[in-house]
Amino acid sequence: MRNPYVPANAILSRKHIENTAKDLQTFEFIFEDKKQAENFDFICGQFAMVSIDGVGEAPFGIASSPLEKDFIQFTVKRYSKGILTNALYSLSEGEKLGIRGPFGNGYPMKELEGKNILIVGGGFALTTLRSVVKFVLHQANRAKYGKLTMLAAAREPCEMLYREDMAEWSKRNDIEVVQAIDKPAEGWDGQVGFAAEVLEKMTPDAKNTYTLICGPQIMIKTCINVLGKLNFTPDKIINSLEMKMKCGIGKCGRCNIGNKYICKDGPVFTYEQLLKLGAEY
Amino acid sequence: MVDLEKQLRAQAKKLLEDKAVDCVIGYENSDDPLMTTPCFITAPNEVDRLVLNCLCGNNLTKYLIGRKEKTAVVAKAWDVRSVAVLVKENQVKRENVIIIGVPSLRIVDQKKIIAHLNGKEVISVILKENAIEVQGDVFSEDLLIDDYLQAGCELRDDIDDSMFDIVIGEMPASKQNIDDDDLIKQLEAMSSEQRWEFFKKEFSKCIRCYACREACPLCYCKSCFVDQNFPAWFSKSTDLSDNMSFHIIRALHAAGRCTDCGACFRACPNDINLRVLNRKIAKDIKELFDSEPGLNPKEDLPLTSYKPDDPQDFIK
Amino acid sequence: MKILEKEKINSVLDFLAGQYDLVAPVSQDGLKFEYAQVKDSSKVNLDFTNSHESPKKLFFPQYEVLFRYYADGRKEVPALETDKKRVIFGMRPCDAKALLFLDKVFDDAKYQDPYYLTKRNNTVIFTLGCVSPQSTCFCTSFDIGPFAKDGSDVFVADFGDFYSFEAVTDKGEEILKKLSGLRDAAGEHISKYEKLSRESAAKIKRHIELQGLAEELINKQDAPMWEQIHLKCIRCGVCSFLCPTCHCFDMIDENQGPQQGARVRIWDSCMSCGFTQEASGHNPRPGGREKMRQRVMHKFSYIPQNFDTFGCVGCGRCIKNCPVRNDITKTIKKLRESESREKR
Repeated sequence: MRNPYVPANAILSRKHIENTAKDLQTFEFIFEDKKQAENFDFICGQFAMVSIDGVGEAPFGIASSPLEKDFIQFTVKRYSKGILTNALYSLSEGEKLGIRGPFGNGYPMKELEGKNILIVGGGFALTTLRSVVKFVLHQANRAKYGKLTMLAAAREPCEMLYREDMAEWSKRNDIEVVQAIDKPAEGWDGQVGFAAEVLEKMTPDAKNTYTLICGPQIMIKTCINVLGKLNFTPDKIINSLEMKMKCGIGKCGRCNIGNKYICKDGPVFTYEQLLKLGAEY
Repeated sequence: MVDLEKQLRAQAKKLLEDKAVDCVIGYENSDDPLMTTPCFITAPNEVDRLVLNCLCGNNLTKYLIGRKEKTAVVAKAWDVRSVAVLVKENQVKRENVIIIGVPSLRIVDQKKIIAHLNGKEVISVILKENAIEVQGDVFSEDLLIDDYLQAGCELRDDIDDSMFDIVIGEMPASKQNIDDDDLIKQLEAMSSEQRWEFFKKEFSKCIRCYACREACPLCYCKSCFVDQNFPAWFSKSTDLSDNMSFHIIRALHAAGRCTDCGACFRACPNDINLRVLNRKIAKDIKELFDSEPGLNPKEDLPLTSYKPDDPQDFIK
Repeated sequence: MKILEKEKINSVLDFLAGQYDLVAPVSQDGLKFEYAQVKDSSKVNLDFTNSHESPKKLFFPQYEVLFRYYADGRKEVPALETDKKRVIFGMRPCDAKALLFLDKVFDDAKYQDPYYLTKRNNTVIFTLGCVSPQSTCFCTSFDIGPFAKDGSDVFVADFGDFYSFEAVTDKGEEILKKLSGLRDAAGEHISKYEKLSRESAAKIKRHIELQGLAEELINKQDAPMWEQIHLKCIRCGVCSFLCPTCHCFDMIDENQGPQQGARVRIWDSCMSCGFTQEASGHNPRPGGREKMRQRVMHKFSYIPQNFDTFGCVGCGRCIKNCPVRNDITKTIKKLRESESREKR
């Protein structure tokens, strides 16, 4: 019997500050044991439990691409009350921690083949969507997917995530990147407005297109309204949810919304599925 | 007792009709013949659900914490004192609460009755003047209320008048101690080894459900020390030392505030004698500071205030 | 079916205690009964209604070390296997049925919980039919009943002057063969057995109407009644801790000095304040209404939807031990009688 509670040891190989507010960092890990690395076969949108012995464990969406075999990355927001995130931030490169996973269902990357993909990400919820972009843009994959469009929204420029990735993607002609902030700011040359407003202006074509959307609840709800107006059907709007988790494997009983466990049945749901979850969603 | 109930219902009805309060928190009958259950009455035509008798154990003042609406609450002597402490600690706004005091109501200890009946199940009870008749499958017995009173739960003649907005029944003529102070005396007389054995026996029963904490009107901390994991104060295990740490720290946290309402003791599913630590501390505080919490709302709580003549013998 | 004269029960228990780790009901005070490991029959007390705490703790303890960690990164899982098989004698049918549900949680298709399953696989269960159920019992609502055999390996019933023993599983059959003093039941025993079974079931008066409940509750997630029924709940979690099916847990790290520590799991409850509290400050189930709704919906709607069984077996512990005498059967009744939405 495999023990799903015991993490594999990993080494923090790189810390990278992602935004100028400095409360978002990408942590890159290498498994201590090569076999563990091979076993850690994931798809975009899955998450893992990251732990520091003596501090605890928390779930984080995987921000690197499944094709990046040498390491895995998580982008972590620092909260003053987040015990594990604060401990993570204070780790130095070369220090050890534990990783369990991958868990959850992930985005339907197979089903998305041959389809156009619209990505809408707000704030730091962009992490697993970055994994999708990296995966789709990989030369072995790009031809399998249709048009790739990405709207990255943040409140202020300093909260905009993955600046270097964005700059690189913006240079390419096989992805359209739109960056938006809520209010005008000095030196900002991207779009200005709430994500839903910018999305409405973009008038994406619903035909053969799936939307992957992550972000704060209010952003998701307003964007879904806009998508509805643009004839996107609920089965083609795909959302990733978050809840507090402990076990990651559908046993500890806290991450459910309705009868679905976010850790096991999700975190990725179509909007059609979410509508059925009822009052709690 | 029937009279008291009538008075209570009339008062509750008037309060609701006059819209003086949004809700009257009192007791109604439950399926458990030996205990009532809290009820929240919001309409005048529902007041007949209210009952008032020796089975009204719960300290309802717990429900006042965080309540924004103007509320009337049925309170026994020790419950009234809980409100006074909560007001003192800014957890309850006095002007938001109408205290329906029942200063002479005494309650029975369900656990004593169950022990007396050797665990035989009581199916119904009939309340009499000074007794309750308990009826089971094949038995029926009159039990004198006086023989089964809950320990602690003192009747007091010296609670400040301002703590009563409505009084149901008589004020007791004198302080009446319904107590097992004997147990405290016994404990004090024990050698430390004997005392250790006593507490070991009690606290090894704990399953760390924290019902004592949730039932206690004074446990309102947003984040309890026992829930803190980083750093943890002690383990969450039911090892004796961890159980004991929890209960001792909790008792110290309630020191000078606990009115010995017995909520923790009643809530404990495993019948730990949770009162004994609190009772002993209360006794010491009374001796050291001549203070008992909740009797006078104007008086500061003994352990959170300073007086120049406070005893200082402990500084050596 | 086999028959054992009552006076021979102790020799059977002694035999079991010799061959296996025997767990049976014991009582310190004759009031509260608990399952405990016994060395022989002397402390066993079968004259009980049900144990105070549920026997789930024998498979899923309140506190359990998942693994120890060391400063060098080493992880060490405690030995799960034991040398001896374990026999639990005298579990009640409701609690045995609850284990069948816990099996589904801890042994799902994708993730097996080795801590629970090792104990489970290592245990043989002798259930003891209930001849004197309590007023808080409502197992018959769930098609369990005082003589139900689901979850038993061996089913035992007490007839006053003799016990009946019946193997339910192969595991039970195997162990039953080893017991001496049993003889084959005669026709009179069978008819007595059936009579006793009927009479015991008839003693259970409390009832919860389950027909269509799981679906109805989905439509009542927003029912105004939730505002009422949570009011008196003090969210102490006694119900969860004593419940035979509640299995929510927390995982925490406990350091034992600078060099080592243990990641442990402890019982948790959907009633506890930090259960769904997120580091960001957001809590999706912040108040009494949401917590109470989660507990009721989990047991009576989500679990039925996911596992085709209820998350309640009608043992009545939550009713009997609730400090404010909240009664789940009444709660369900009130919900079923209430409107789905506010009348406009």
